[in-house]
Order: sequence, then C-alpha cells, then structure tokens
Amino acid sequence: MKKIVVFVLGPDRTGIIAAVSKTLFDQGCNLEDVSQTILQTEFVGIFIASMADNGNEDEVLSALRARIGSLGLFVHLRPVEEEPAAGVQTGEPFVITTIGTDRPGLMAGVTEILARYGANITSLKAVSRGEENHHEYIMMFEADIPSAVDLSAFRAALCGRAEELGLDISLQHREIFEELNRV
Amino acid sequence: MLTEREIIATLDMLRNENLDVRTVTLGVSLFDCASDDAGRFIDRVRAKISRLAANFVDVCDEVGLRYGIPVVNKRISISPIAVAACAASPEEMIAIAVALDDLAAKLRIDFIGGFGALVEKGFTQGDRALIEALPEALAKTGRVCSSINVATTRAGINMDAVALMGRTIKQAAELTADRDGLGCAKLVVFANIPQDVPFMAGAYLGVGEPDAVINVGVSGPGVVKKAIDRARAANPGLDLGQLSEVIKRTAFKVTRVGELIGRQVAKKLDIPFGVADLSLAPTPNVGDSVGEIFQSLGLKSIGNPGSTAVLAMLNDAVKKGGIFASSHVGGLSGAFIPVSEDLHIAEAARKGHLSLEKLEAMTSVCSVGLDMVALPGDTSAATLAGIIADEMAIGVINSKATAARLIPVPGKKAGEMASFGGLLGEATIMNAPNDGGSDGFIALGGRIPAPVQSFKN
Repeated sequence: MKKIVVFVLGPDRTGIIAAVSKTLFDQGCNLEDVSQTILQTEFVGIFIASMADNGNEDEVLSALRARIGSLGLFVHLRPVEEEPAAGVQTGEPFVITTIGTDRPGLMAGVTEILARYGANITSLKAVSRGEENHHEYIMMFEADIPSAVDLSAFRAALCGRAEELGLDISLQHREIFEELNRV
Repeated sequence: MLTEREIIATLDMLRNENLDVRTVTLGVSLFDCASDDAGRFIDRVRAKISRLAANFVDVCDEVGLRYGIPVVNKRISISPIAVAACAASPEEMIAIAVALDDLAAKLRIDFIGGFGALVEKGFTQGDRALIEALPEALAKTGRVCSSINVATTRAGINMDAVALMGRTIKQAAELTADRDGLGCAKLVVFANIPQDVPFMAGAYLGVGEPDAVINVGVSGPGVVKKAIDRARAANPGLDLGQLSEVIKRTAFKVTRVGELIGRQVAKKLDIPFGVADLSLAPTPNVGDSVGEIFQSLGLKSIGNPGSTAVLAMLNDAVKKGGIFASSHVGGLSGAFIPVSEDLHIAEAARKGHLSLEKLEAMTSVCSVGLDMVALPGDTSAATLAGIIADEMAIGVINSKATAARLIPVPGKKAGEMASFGGLLGEATIMNAPNDGGSDGFIALGGRIPAPVQSFKN
C-alpha cells in the first residue's frame, strides 16, 4: 500500500467532505486521517488516504477535479513523504499565548523567534476581537520546543520581542492546561 | 489540541485571579541528627538540611516558571525539636532556634517550622525545655515557627499545657513588644495536629513520616470567588446546591495545579511526594481573600449570621473537589480564616461585624481555628488559656484539627491596629474578656479526659 495526501481549499459550502470522501472511495482509496478547518468563509481540508501500490494518483486527482472543481474548490494531490520534513525535531509541548492591541506584523514578529529556536508549531489559533476602534488580538500557539533549547534564553527572546510589539506573552508547558481542564 | 476556551480560562485564573501555589514545603526528618551534645546536633542538622535543600528554592522557581504558576513560598518542616533534641537545655534550645534561622536565611527559605512539641498527654524534659525557650527563641529569630500540640481526640486536653501556653504566649508577646507581639504570630497551639501540614506556623514533620518528603499547600480563594461571581452573573437563579458545585469544580482545578507542581519539584529533587493540602489560604493582597467569598454568596460581610453555614459549605466543597484532584490529600485541608492575613476578614473585625465569639463558632466547621487574632495587650495568661481550651475542645470533640494563634498586642487596646508585616498582615485588635473569669478554671490543671466517640449528639 502507498499513501497520498489530498488538499482541498476554497469557499465553504455544504457537501465538500461528502464529495471528496465518496470520490476517494470510488477510486479504491481508504481514508486514514482527515482534518478540516473553516476561517471566516474559507474551507481547508487535508485528507490522508492509502491506496493499492498499482493505483494511479493521476486518475484519483482527475476524478476529484471532475467532482468538486465545479464547486469552485482547488484540489492538490501528492504522495506522502515517508520521512518527516527536514528541521523538525522532537521536543516538549509548550503553549505560547499573546494578548495585545491588533496591528500588522504581530504574527510575523512572534513566529520569527519560534523559528529561530527551532520550535515547531503544532497548533495555532489567532482571534481578533473587540470594538470598532480597539481590536485585541489573541494568538495561541502550541509548539514543540526541542529539548536542546535553553528555555530561559528562549523565554528571554520571546519576552523581548513581545515587549517591542506591545504584547503580553506567556510561555507554559502544555501539561498545566491539561491538568487544569481535563479529568 | 487544546481548545481556545481551555487556554483563555487558564490564563484568566493566572492573570486576574491570583492562582498560585501557596507553598511547597520540604519535610526533613531530624531524628538521625540526635545527640546528647547540642553543638553536634546543630552541626548534623545543618549538614542534613543543607544537603537536601541546597537547590530547593531554585527548583521550585524553575518548575513554577515552566508551568507559569508562581510558587509563592518555599518552606521547610522538620521533626519536632522537642523530640529530636530531647536532651537539650532551654539555653541550648535557643541556640538551636538561632541556628535554624540562620540556615533558613542562607537557603532563602522564608519559614522553617517544627520548633515544637507534642504534649497532649504530658511533658518530657525536652518538651519543657523547648516551651521555656520559646519566648526568647521567637524573639531572636525571624523565620522559625513553632507548633505545640496540647490535645488530641484520643488523649483529651492537657490543661497544664494549655495554662503553660497561655503564660508562654504572654511572654513571647512581651519580648517582641516593639513589633506588636510578632513572636506570637509564629507560635500556634494545636489540637489533633496533622503530621504533614505544609502551611505555617503549624508545619512540622511527624514521627511517622519519611526521611524527606515534599508536601504542597494550594491556595486560590480569588479563583473560587471569581468562579462564583461568573456563575451568578451568567445565571442569577443559581441556588446554594448549584453554587457549591461551582466551588467544587474550581477546587478541583486549583488542586490539580498544586499536585502537578509538587510532583514535579519532588521528581527533580528525587524526594518522594507526600500530600496536597487542599486549603483556601488567603493573603492580605486584594483579590486573594476568603472573606470576600462570603460576600459573593450573599452575606454583607463575613461575621453576619449565616457565616458559619457558608463556611461549612465552602470547606466541604473545597474538600470534595480537591480530593478527586489529588492522589494523596493531607495537612489541614479546608478554608483558613486568619484575621490579619485576609483583607476582608480584617475589615470585618475592624467594622465590628466579626467578634471573637463568632470566629470561634466558625472554627467548628473550618480547617484551622482562631488564627492570627490580635487581642488587647492586657489580656491575662489565664484568659488566653481559656480561649485556647475552648478552641481545643472544639477540635477534640469533633475529631478535627483546631488551633489558636493568639497575639496579645503589648500596650494596645481593643479597636487599635496591630501590624505584623508582609504576609502576616495587620488587624484590628478584637475585644476579649478581662475580668479574671477563667482564672479558677485554668488553675485546676490536669487533663480533660478523651471524649467518647459514640452517641454523637
């Protein structure tokens, strides 16, 4: 068996998952992992499926395009890489949260520090909320910080950047959130 | 993946509701330091505690930083000195206290507890020497805390010890008259003292405990108050049954934090984890008050009729939530109502909503007792002993820990302010009877027998 990954993106509407999964089924693929998210009006879905070694990826892609292209959705398909992407190291899970007045450059400013220290973001949620003239921007990153990283240096770098950006920042081991909120 | 709500709710508890771990307390047994030579005992104690606690404060800070939860106090509890140094004279006991104080300062420990004795059935030579040394020892040191257990449900109340403690408290106050009797703020008289209390001034390491152990005291009155306020704002129709459920859930969260931090510190120090003490421990800071919870539950002030019922419900809900959250629960576990250490309780005393008698009634349902109660300087030793005896009786009959930490403030009268500094806070001096009405009773001495534990009425 070999694995493929299918990316589907475009304006959200009902029936996208049904159409993709039916097409993959008809093409003899077995769905393994699926994740979807909706940001405002936009849909993104990632589907990992297995298929027979002699199966044809191009035929699967053509079938998908034929079925959902008319819905205004973009589809991309490629084989799954066996090795994890270069530069991703295992580490301990931390949660980084920032709160501050919304302005351009916040995400870029904070994530530049994360990238510099090799922290791999595993989950990210950012929300802007507030009234017309004052938007508070909250960013919540879950990131794996490599064990070799000096945590206090990383913390200092993060806090320094947060101060430049006018953000309140916190860096906490993920375990505390789980302990507090889950039985 | 965590949810947005989980992350934001946790951050709110930390930023706005004073969620912290009140104390991580390293228990150290000193029995293997025993010697008939006080100098040798001190050397051994210094070596053992220095070895075990060398990195203690740094490890607590490191773990606190890692989880974003401050460990406010790092403390040490030790075997009762009256037992570990039983052969010492009163002068040698004072030297031991001074050595412990120096050691605590060197290790950056804010309090070291266990300069105490267990005398519920009678005195050894070491017990007498330690109690005789107490006033001077407490005056000469800043970080040494003492607890004297004078009663248990199984032994009854040692009234000779109660009377002696009345006199000792007077002397301790007089020797620290320039600091409003601060010596007494570090001295607590107990009934049924638990062996693993992490909180001061009662912390000590009991004889059944391991060689070294990490116990943790959680906090969180601000978190409980905010949770009640939020629940009532969202649904004004909530009744007390539903609100106690809110308290229970919140106590669960608070305890989980303490348990996690305590276990991590224990792991890093390679010392076994002992217990989480599920207490709502206030500080004199705004938003960190147990008294304020009473207002969130509909009373104008702690001390109003209904206060004992509220405290009973609060204490019970904290225990129910906490017990589920922790693998081993111990210590005092419940709500503290220390007058000077809690802004709203101090305020209630100042405004006259809370009297000594109401406070005593409330201690029958909470976890400690008459705690940090400032009394007029001319309160007699026999009156202090009478107040202690009443408090001990509540503990002995109800099979629970109770304690009295009374401060007769030298030269000051009821209504005046007494200030003890830092976490010990400040309080209005409460009215206490001063007509010699307890003298005859206290003079009788002896031991009030252990109570029957059946036929509860």
